[in-house]
Amino acid sequence: MSRSRVVVSLLAVLMAIVLQTTVFAPGRIQPLGVAPALVTLVVIAVSTQVEAEYLLLIGFTAGVLMDLIGSGTIGLWAMTLTAVAYVAGRLKRRFPDGPVYIAGTVFGLTVASQFLYVVLGTLFGQGTITEPGVFRKVLLPGVWNLILTVPVFWLLGKAFKTKRSGWAV
Amino acid sequence: MFSSSGRRVDRVTIVFLSLMAIGFIIATIDVRSSGDGVSEVFREGTQSIFTPLQQGVDFVTRPVIGFVDGVANFAGLRDENDRLEDRVRELEAQVRATEALEEKVMQLEAINGLEVPGELASATARVFSAGPSAFDNVRYLDKGSNDGIVKGQAVVDEDGLVGRVVLVSANAARIRLITDPAVSVGVRVLSTNEIGIVTGRGDGPLRLEMFRAKEAVNEDDRVVTDGSRFPPGIAVGTVRRTAVADVGFVLRGQVDPAAHLSEIDYVKVIIGWSPIDSALEENEDQTTTTTQPTTTTTDGDG
Repeated sequence: MSRSRVVVSLLAVLMAIVLQTTVFAPGRIQPLGVAPALVTLVVIAVSTQVEAEYLLLIGFTAGVLMDLIGSGTIGLWAMTLTAVAYVAGRLKRRFPDGPVYIAGTVFGLTVASQFLYVVLGTLFGQGTITEPGVFRKVLLPGVWNLILTVPVFWLLGKAFKTKRSGWAV
Repeated sequence: MFSSSGRRVDRVTIVFLSLMAIGFIIATIDVRSSGDGVSEVFREGTQSIFTPLQQGVDFVTRPVIGFVDGVANFAGLRDENDRLEDRVRELEAQVRATEALEEKVMQLEAINGLEVPGELASATARVFSAGPSAFDNVRYLDKGSNDGIVKGQAVVDEDGLVGRVVLVSANAARIRLITDPAVSVGVRVLSTNEIGIVTGRGDGPLRLEMFRAKEAVNEDDRVVTDGSRFPPGIAVGTVRRTAVADVGFVLRGQVDPAAHLSEIDYVKVIIGWSPIDSALEENEDQTTTTTQPTTTTTDGDG
């Protein structure tokens, strides 16, 4: 495992969080009032580039950072994105099967992660499941992530390729 | 590695389960500490790392997004303009009526010797980022303790109460919106003068609870802060639909927030008011009020 791949993955996660909290913040780009789940998409996208154990750690780190920036209980996004990383690590072997498979994985995992967060939030007393418009918040990020799949996978592919030819360890 | 049933459990699954267990423990600790203590320190540290990055990206992308947004909404702008022109005419008429009323109130206050509360000191700040998911109800402001902002202060915009400050660094502050389930605000219904509490529900209307309400709340009744935690009289919202309190039961209703929380940009943090000062002032007033008649009586007797 190249260390540079993990570093690039963490930088991608960091960038995704910054974009998520600025460009995709309320009052900016939020079609139908809900933003894409960019960090979840990045975790799925890097699954093709790093080994499963590292992917789990990247997912967990991304989740902890999201928890610390957000308003919910710390640990909930950490658990959610670790689960996303685990499943993505299992499914990535099928990614070469075709774009439909990747699209299905992105949509399914995004919606599942939003739903898992709602369940965990409710279990930890945040009452997330009773929030108005909860179904919209669970389903729409999946749709937006589906649209962003091509540019994000392409950009990350480029970034990893650059590092491979540049300073691979 | 083998499980009790003899099936092989791979290393990835063990790492996964370990991380899930760590996440669960962290969440439990955070819930137990109510978000204070160590978690607050970590939040503060993380925010100080992200703030310059977020402010940089916000600075670069804001004009572009504004332009794209403007182009996208061009078709709807003409209708919106007509609607706003009508609304301006309507409001101008209301302003004229209000000015007459203000004059009347000032005269009455002068007669009764009441003090008109001055404008509270405030710091104007801009929202530069938000929480990372649709379930977060936080915003980050580009002003912090250097501008006199401290934890607990009220944040308002031109429409009403937006939220309260929960974390402050030198040049940034984090606010929780009134729609956050962790935020409760003491309120007064203007039409009945009765008090209650509104609590966020994550999104949409706020939950109104009035424990000693004798009268009903009606649709479109205005709800303002009661002065217990935030300065009194700040618009919180309007009652969504009429609700009645059954005898011995809590009156429950819904309040639409006055502030358009999905569109906030510039806000004001009220730095010139604290509930402690207010309570002290009230105590002083009470002492003065109770002392004055005695003095008068003594003088009279004398």
